[in-house]
Amino acid sequence: MIEISQVTKKFQRVVALDNVSLSIPKGEVVGLLGPNGAGKTTLFKLMAGLLRADSGKIRPLGSGWPAVGYKPERLLFPNELRVSEYLHLMAGLCNIPRNEVEDAVLESLVRVDLLDAAGKRIKDCSKGMRQRLALAQALIGDPPLLLLDEPSNGLDPEGQADINRRIKQLNEAGKTIVLSSHQIHEITEVCTELVILNRGRVHYNNRIDSALATRTHTIVQVDRELGEISDMLRALHPEVYARGNQIILREEAMQLRRQVLVMLLDANYDLLHVEEKRVTLDEIYAEAVR
Amino acid sequence: MIQRLLVLTGYFLRRLIFSLSGIIYIIFGMIFWLLFFSPGQGTPDSEYYILVIGAFGAVITFLSALTVAARANRAANYPMVVRLPSRVEFLAAVLFTAMIFAAALQLLVAGLALINGPSLVMNSLMVIPPVWFAVNSIAAVLALHASDFVTVNWSRVYIFGVLAVFLFGQNAREPVGTWLSNRLIGLSRSVMNSGQIDLGSSLSELAMRISENNSELLGNAFGLVFWPFRAMADAVVARSFGPAQALAPAIVLLYSTILFMLAADLFGSKDLDFLE
Repeated sequence: MIEISQVTKKFQRVVALDNVSLSIPKGEVVGLLGPNGAGKTTLFKLMAGLLRADSGKIRPLGSGWPAVGYKPERLLFPNELRVSEYLHLMAGLCNIPRNEVEDAVLESLVRVDLLDAAGKRIKDCSKGMRQRLALAQALIGDPPLLLLDEPSNGLDPEGQADINRRIKQLNEAGKTIVLSSHQIHEITEVCTELVILNRGRVHYNNRIDSALATRTHTIVQVDRELGEISDMLRALHPEVYARGNQIILREEAMQLRRQVLVMLLDANYDLLHVEEKRVTLDEIYAEAVR
Repeated sequence: MIQRLLVLTGYFLRRLIFSLSGIIYIIFGMIFWLLFFSPGQGTPDSEYYILVIGAFGAVITFLSALTVAARANRAANYPMVVRLPSRVEFLAAVLFTAMIFAAALQLLVAGLALINGPSLVMNSLMVIPPVWFAVNSIAAVLALHASDFVTVNWSRVYIFGVLAVFLFGQNAREPVGTWLSNRLIGLSRSVMNSGQIDLGSSLSELAMRISENNSELLGNAFGLVFWPFRAMADAVVARSFGPAQALAPAIVLLYSTILFMLAADLFGSKDLDFLE
C-alpha cells in the first residue's frame, strides 16, 4: 500500500530516521517495535504527511494516496467538545455526505464501544475512553489505511486486550494497519509483519510467523564461568555468543555444536544443560536493539 | 473542499468566540466604540467613520488571525490535518475564521457608531466594502506570516524586514539614496584598487546616477508599493473612487493573494510540529 524508500529525517543535528526503507503491504498489520527515541513516531508522522522527509520518498503502491486514519501517540483532543461533536467534526472532513454523517458517527462509536459516552465532554473522559475515541476518529470515513501510534499505551491489561481485539477485527475487515508499541506480546498478538527500529534504522523486517518458525538456536550451559575458552569459542563463528556459564549458537553457528561440545569437554567443563530453542520475539528484539 | 472549509471554519470560529481572547476582542470593540463613537459626542464625518472603523477592522483582523493561528497550531489538530487532501485548506480555514470574526465585530461597531453618527450617502457606502475588505485581508495574511503556525526558520524576519525597508525607503528617500550611492562609491574604489577598472567605473557610474536621481528612482520604487493604501485613503476623503483609485483595493487584494500563496507554500512544505 505504501513504499518507504531510503527516507532520512533529521531534527537539527539529531538523525531521527536514517535511510529507512520498508513497504507496507495491503491488508497487513505492520508492527513497529523499538525503544524510546527509535524513530517510530517520526515515521508515523512522515507517513501521515505531517513531516517532510529530508531525503528519500514515501509513495503509494497503488494509484494515488489512500485515505489515512491517524491516531497520534499523545491523546490530545479539543477537550471542550463532546465526544459526538468531535466525531461529527472529523466526519465533516472526510467527504461523508451530510445525510450520512450521523450514521458514520454512530457506526464508529459502536465499533469502539463508546456509544454510552457520546454526550460526554472529552475532558471528562477516562484514559481508556480517550484511547477508544482516538481510534474512533481514525475509523471515521472508513479509511483503508490506519496509522495507530501506540494504540494501547497506558491502558490496563483488560483495556489492552480490548484494543487488540478491535485491531484484529479491523484487519479482518480488510484494513491495512501500521501500529507501534513497546510491548512485544501486543505485536505478537495482532501483527502479521514486524519492523524493529532502533536509533533511526530498521534492524529487523520480517513476517512474524516466518521469523518465529525458522529461527532456532542452541544453548549450552556449563558448570562454571567460561574463562579464556570464551574467546576461542567466539573465534569459531560470529554467531557464537559466550557469556557467564552459557554459550549460545545462533543460525549457521549451530552446525558447530559438536565441535563446541568437544572443546568444552576437553577443557574439563561439565555440561549441565544443552537445549535447542526457538528464538522468541523478545530475543529478536534484544538482538536488534543491542 | 467547500464542506471541509465550512466545517473547519465553524470549528475555529466556535473556539475563538467562546474563548477568553474572543471575549476580550468583543469587549475591546465596545470600548473602541465608546471612545471614538460614543452617542454623546458630536456627529463624526463620514470619512472619519470609514477610516477609523477601517483601521479598527485591520487591527482586530490581525489580532484574531494571530489568535486563531495559535489555536490551530495545537497537536490536538493533527488528525484533522491528516484527513485533508491539502494542508492549504487548514490554512485557508484559519484565514477565513479571522476575517469572518473581525468583519462581524467591525460591522457591529460600525452599526453602533451610526447611532447619532454620520448619515452615509450612497457614494460613501459604496466605498466601504472594497476598502475594508482589502485592508482586512492584507492584515489577516500578514498576521499569518507573523505567527509560528506559518513561519519557517527566518521567513517572518525576511517578510517584515522587506516591509520595513519599503516603509523606511518611502519615508526617507534621500538618506537611502545617499547611503546606497556612498556604499557603491566605496565598493567601486575597492574594485578599482584590485585591478578591475571596468567594473569599478560601472559601479561608480551607477552610484552617480542614483545620487542624481535618487528621489525619483528610489522614492518612486518604494512609494509605488504603498500607493494603493494612499489611493484608498484619498478616495475615502473624496467620498468616491477616481478611475485609477478604483484599482487600489484590487491591488491590495493582489498583495494579499501573493502573500497568502507564499504562506501556503511555507505551510505546505514545513514540518508540522504543533504544540502539545
